Parts: sequence; C-alpha cells; structure tokens
Amino acid sequence: MRTELDLERIVSELYSPLYRFAFGLSRNETQAADLTQETFLILTKQQAQIRDITKIKSWLFTTLRREFLRGLRTQSSHPEVELQPEHQDQLVSDSGVLQASDAATVLEALAGVDESYRIVLELFYLADLSYKEIAATLDIPIGTVMSRLSRGKEQLRTLLAKTTATDKIIPPK
Amino acid sequence: MNSDAAKEILSAYRSRDRDGADPIFHEALNQMESDSELKKWFEERQDLDRAIRGKLAGIEPPADLQAKILARIRGEKVRRLTLPPVWLAAAACLVLGGIALFYSTRQVESARFQEFKTDALAMVSVQGGPVLDLETPNLSETQTYLRNHQAPYDDALPSRLKSMETAGCRAFVWKQYPASLTCFRLPNGMFLHLVVINRDAMGDANIPVGLKSMGDWHVMFQQKDGMLLMWATRAPMDQLKQIVVKLGRKRVLGVQEVAGVQRGHLPERLL
Repeated sequence: MRTELDLERIVSELYSPLYRFAFGLSRNETQAADLTQETFLILTKQQAQIRDITKIKSWLFTTLRREFLRGLRTQSSHPEVELQPEHQDQLVSDSGVLQASDAATVLEALAGVDESYRIVLELFYLADLSYKEIAATLDIPIGTVMSRLSRGKEQLRTLLAKTTATDKIIPPK
Repeated sequence: MNSDAAKEILSAYRSRDRDGADPIFHEALNQMESDSELKKWFEERQDLDRAIRGKLAGIEPPADLQAKILARIRGEKVRRLTLPPVWLAAAACLVLGGIALFYSTRQVESARFQEFKTDALAMVSVQGGPVLDLETPNLSETQTYLRNHQAPYDDALPSRLKSMETAGCRAFVWKQYPASLTCFRLPNGMFLHLVVINRDAMGDANIPVGLKSMGDWHVMFQQKDGMLLMWATRAPMDQLKQIVVKLGRKRVLGVQEVAGVQRGHLPERLL
C-alpha cells in the first residue's frame, strides 16, 4: 500500500531551489513565488498519481517548468504591454530578492546562453539537480544532458568573462 | 577514455558528497591522476561552479513563502478531507430533505472566515516561530503594547493563563481591521497562540464552535465582547481543551460536549 507523502518535509527541503529555478525562468519575484506555490499545490492535489516517490524532485521541477511555459502561452494569446528593457532591469534590481548584484550578473550571463543549454544549466546551478534528475525533468537522455552541460558551461564562462565582474567570478588561471 | 570525453562527464560532477558515489564519474576522476592538464581544467571548473552557485545563492525566497505554501497545502488537505462528508450530506439531503440541508449549510464557512483562518495559521506556523513586535515573558507588557497600538486583545483572561509566560506579541492589520497575536509558552515548552480581531472583520460568516485539527495544528474559535479569538497550538488537543475550554465558567465541559455543542448551550465566554 502506498504511504502518503510527507508534504511539509518536501516543502521545507525544496521550496528554496524551486523558487530559485522559478526566478531564473521568470526573473520576477512575484511570479516566481506564485509558480512555487502553484507547483506545491499541484503536488498536493495529484500526489496519489505519483507512483515513484524518489522522483518527486524531478516531478516538481518538471511541473514548475510546465506551468511557467503554460503561463507564457497564455500571455502570448493575451499579450500585455511590453516592458521596456530599462524597466525590466528595474523590476529585477528593485525586487529585493537579489542580495547582491553578483546574482544578477550570473543571471544575465545565463540569459545569453543558447536556450537548449540554458535550461540544463539552470537546473544544474539554480535547482542543484544531478544529471540524472535533469534528464528525468527534461525527458532527454543522460548523454545529452552531459554534452549540453559541457557546452553550456563553456558558453557561460565566455559570457561571464565579458562582464565587469569577471575577476570576481572566473578564477585566475 | 580520452580527455574530451572525460571533460564532458566531469562537467556533470557537482561535488564529492553529492556525486562521489556515482560510478559514472569514477573512470574520469581516476584519469585525472595521470593527466595533469585534465586535473587543472577540472579544478578550475569546480572553482567556477562554486563561485556561480555562491552568487546565485543570493536569490532568497520571500520570508513568508514557506508559510504561505504550507497554509495552502493545509487548506487543500482540509478541503479534500471535508469533501466526502459534504457529498454524504448532499446524499442525505435527498433522503432527509430540508432538515439535513439545514445542518449541512450551517457548517459552510464563508470564504472570508476561511481566508482569515488560513492567514492566521500561516502567520503562527512560520518556521522558527512567528515574527513578534515585542518579545517579553510578561503578559501585562504585551497588553500594554497592544493597547498603545490600538490592537484588540482579551483583557479578561483567567488567572491560569495570566500566570503563564509569554513569548511576546504583535499588532497587525488584516484587511483593514486591527488585529493582534499573543504567544504563550506552555509548561511543556510548546506555544499557544492567540489571535484577536474584531468580529465585524468576518462579516456574516458563521463561526464554527469546538476544537478542530488542521494538519498538526489544533485550533479553536471564540466570540467575546465583539471580538473573534482564535487559539492555535501544536500541543496535544487535550492540553488546548484544558486551557481554553476552561476559560469559560468553572463548569468543565466534557470532550463530547465541546465538540458537538450547539451555540446556545455554550457558556457565554465561549460565544
């Protein structure tokens, strides 16, 4: 017989990495918090359908990403007034979420990485998932995860090297 | 395995404590012992990974996010747990007609009251304890603070509760209504939280009587002098009964009486 999930423990352990991942996707504090809450609510409602509790972590990140993409599709069918780039910067820097501009620098560099590599890097760095968990979350082979991590990291390193914070982030050779 | 293949595998390596036991990395890690260029590359990559993770750790979730999530989960659990009785009540309506309908509708809480209950529980269930404006073991100091901040509070607590130490208090506003939180320290080290708000804040909501379990919390509501009092604790329900139910007149209500009592039969302090 299947035991009920210890939802409070799962929330306690995973709400921070889920929030960081959501923030990486949305770059917006409110949206990231909403996505994180919504993801756990979906887990509460659908916990009976989860057969393998060892895959909860991947399930949560998959669900959060799916909800984010669904939100994007809704937005595109009901377009809102687009923010100007300088206003977007304001949104992030004023949010109070980023304790230091260093995080913004890394997020900015991540945004410049090719999309297929970026999501893998976000799951690796923001969500702290293993390559197996990333493969399960994105439903791609393990080998693909490894090659995308390798190439993505190289791109990210190059982009970070171009920023003003280069000497803080890239270790000296 | 050549150097490029080893680099690709090692790109997925996080740290020894998390991935050290994964055999997929063993060959590549062993290869470093005989390949100094690979070892140097790997150490630089690990430094970069640590630096990036360190920077991204600056993205902190809002302080109340965990409490909000837990409150929504508990609300959903309660909703799901109460659904079958609702269906049963509906079925009973078909059989028993208006009488059963009367009793089932009495149990429906308004959305506003439900929201207050969820918000209050979220506030007190924050990890590490709720945020307090004033931390003091002295109940009279909390009452003075709340009075000075125009927050409602119960100034007629029985001596049993007055003799308890408090952790402190907080004055806050819920939907434009002033409210207060006072936290008592129970003898077993757990907390008993008292949230007080003007009864008008609930509109026409039917306030349920009796003790309720919400997840691992036990709560009870009282109406008193135009105020709504919400008691909440993680202590055993019996303890809450002993403390809160005895707030009424000296007549001690039994368990069954409290849980199932009708509004008109409660001592006036409990209504």
